[in-house]
Amino acid sequence: MGGPAWLTAIFAAASLAVAVYCAGRLVVARGWHRPTELDTDGAHVVMGVAMAGMFVSGLRTLPSAIWEVVFAAAAVWFGYRMLQGRRGGQPSPWRSSHPLPHLVECAAMVFMFLILPASAAAGAATSGMSMTMTATESRFSFLTLPLALFLFGYVVWLGDRVTLRAPALALATTPATGGSGSPTAETARAYLAPRCAAICKITMGITMGYMLVLML
Amino acid sequence: MSESLAVGRAQARPAVQAGDAVGVAALDARRKLQLALGVIWVLDGILQFQPSMFTTSFPDMLAESAPGNPGVVSGPITWSASLIDHHVVVLNAIFATIQLALGLGIAWRPTLRLALAASIAWSLAVWWLGEGFGGILAGTASPVNGAPGPVILYAILAVLLWPADRDPAAPSVAERVVGRRPARAVWLVLWGSLAAFALLPASRAPGAISGMLTGGADGAPVWLAWIDTHAASALNHHGLAASIVLAVLLALVAVAVYLPAPILRAAIVLAVVLAAALWLAQGMGELFTGMATDPESGPLLALLALAFWPAAPRPAVPAPAIPVKEA
Repeated sequence: MGGPAWLTAIFAAASLAVAVYCAGRLVVARGWHRPTELDTDGAHVVMGVAMAGMFVSGLRTLPSAIWEVVFAAAAVWFGYRMLQGRRGGQPSPWRSSHPLPHLVECAAMVFMFLILPASAAAGAATSGMSMTMTATESRFSFLTLPLALFLFGYVVWLGDRVTLRAPALALATTPATGGSGSPTAETARAYLAPRCAAICKITMGITMGYMLVLML
Repeated sequence: MSESLAVGRAQARPAVQAGDAVGVAALDARRKLQLALGVIWVLDGILQFQPSMFTTSFPDMLAESAPGNPGVVSGPITWSASLIDHHVVVLNAIFATIQLALGLGIAWRPTLRLALAASIAWSLAVWWLGEGFGGILAGTASPVNGAPGPVILYAILAVLLWPADRDPAAPSVAERVVGRRPARAVWLVLWGSLAAFALLPASRAPGAISGMLTGGADGAPVWLAWIDTHAASALNHHGLAASIVLAVLLALVAVAVYLPAPILRAAIVLAVVLAAALWLAQGMGELFTGMATDPESGPLLALLALAFWPAAPRPAVPAPAIPVKEA
């Protein structure tokens, strides 16, 4: 990647930090019985690892083809969740409540892996993946810019919803076991660190948006 | 019942999840416009992190705004460009971080006022040191090349979207904040000056507009270059007519703010269309060249126009009955 190596290293470190933190959430949430969005956290684990590899070639773990399949599958899942939500399906505290942004993120990952120069994607580059598109790839720029703008919009929307104080009344209820749906001692569980989860999403959105801007 | 209802979602959901903030008010028109401004600031910050911005190309670009300006204006521009040239990596990283922070600060409600105030100061500084006042004093200002300078529009928007109501009964967001007369004066001056710039030699000279359109095509992707080169070709021998038509349309938009709401709405639609056309003419802010520091004036003019959209009159709320003491 062009530009200062320290900058790409920072973005790679941010991606990995999100991946590690989200992996930790998956483990802790089970142990503490505190709801978290399993699908979102899982997606961010693989996304963080994949993006770190895109920034710094030394962190590359899997071939592009495998990542494409992984993110395509994740996109299908979030698309299914979105359709389910539209049809009035029962929402769950353990699943993403806003699947559309994650669908776009996964689609953006597939998009980036598909259109990046083949040589870089195959690992030929030694100092990181080149994000500068050639004239051939520039025909996709009409997609890159809207994707980046969507992610920045998502980041700002999330920022708007992050509160200063902890949401003390953030309770996960399970109407099926909670009788009338009111939170009870067994069913009411505070959502696991919602502000940290939002900050992870913001970090991921900014980092992915940066990647897309580099591909403009 | 979940507390998630507090975020304004229509249907009940079983849990408050990440990104669902309890107690966050629903988004009104002003907040939506503020968030749109935040998005543009975030985009600016990320654009500033582009690799080319860490090279001497960035200070060179800043220095290009100095020629033609009076010495008192161009001197500080040259000085700041030279300073940035010597510390380009550190200073550019700081600039990018500031702009990103402004965007996130506008997004996060507790820091909204601070971020808006800081954005005004930042915009004014950049308008001078980075854009040479948009070429107004140099005589190169044209709506097609982004006059009066995109960054001054950030400052105007920050004022017009300030989270306070001076005239709560006013029909538009901008008028509610600063009052009807000041807001309309801002609109008139802005769009009126754009109309005037369209008639300056920088726009009406033979080949001026087509030259700017051709410049917008440089480094643009094929589809955008096609639009700009064809427009440049079409206007090649009609530069004067194009500048007059543009000036008339901009003047119509300018005066419409004093006309009844239905006409103003039509003018705002026209303003948004003109902003989109100008943005295309500007090569969409040269976002695709790797050298863009902002998306140029088009999106900001559109955002500003929407801030003047006259809302339907609110239904009158009956005043609470005041108990009358019986004698």
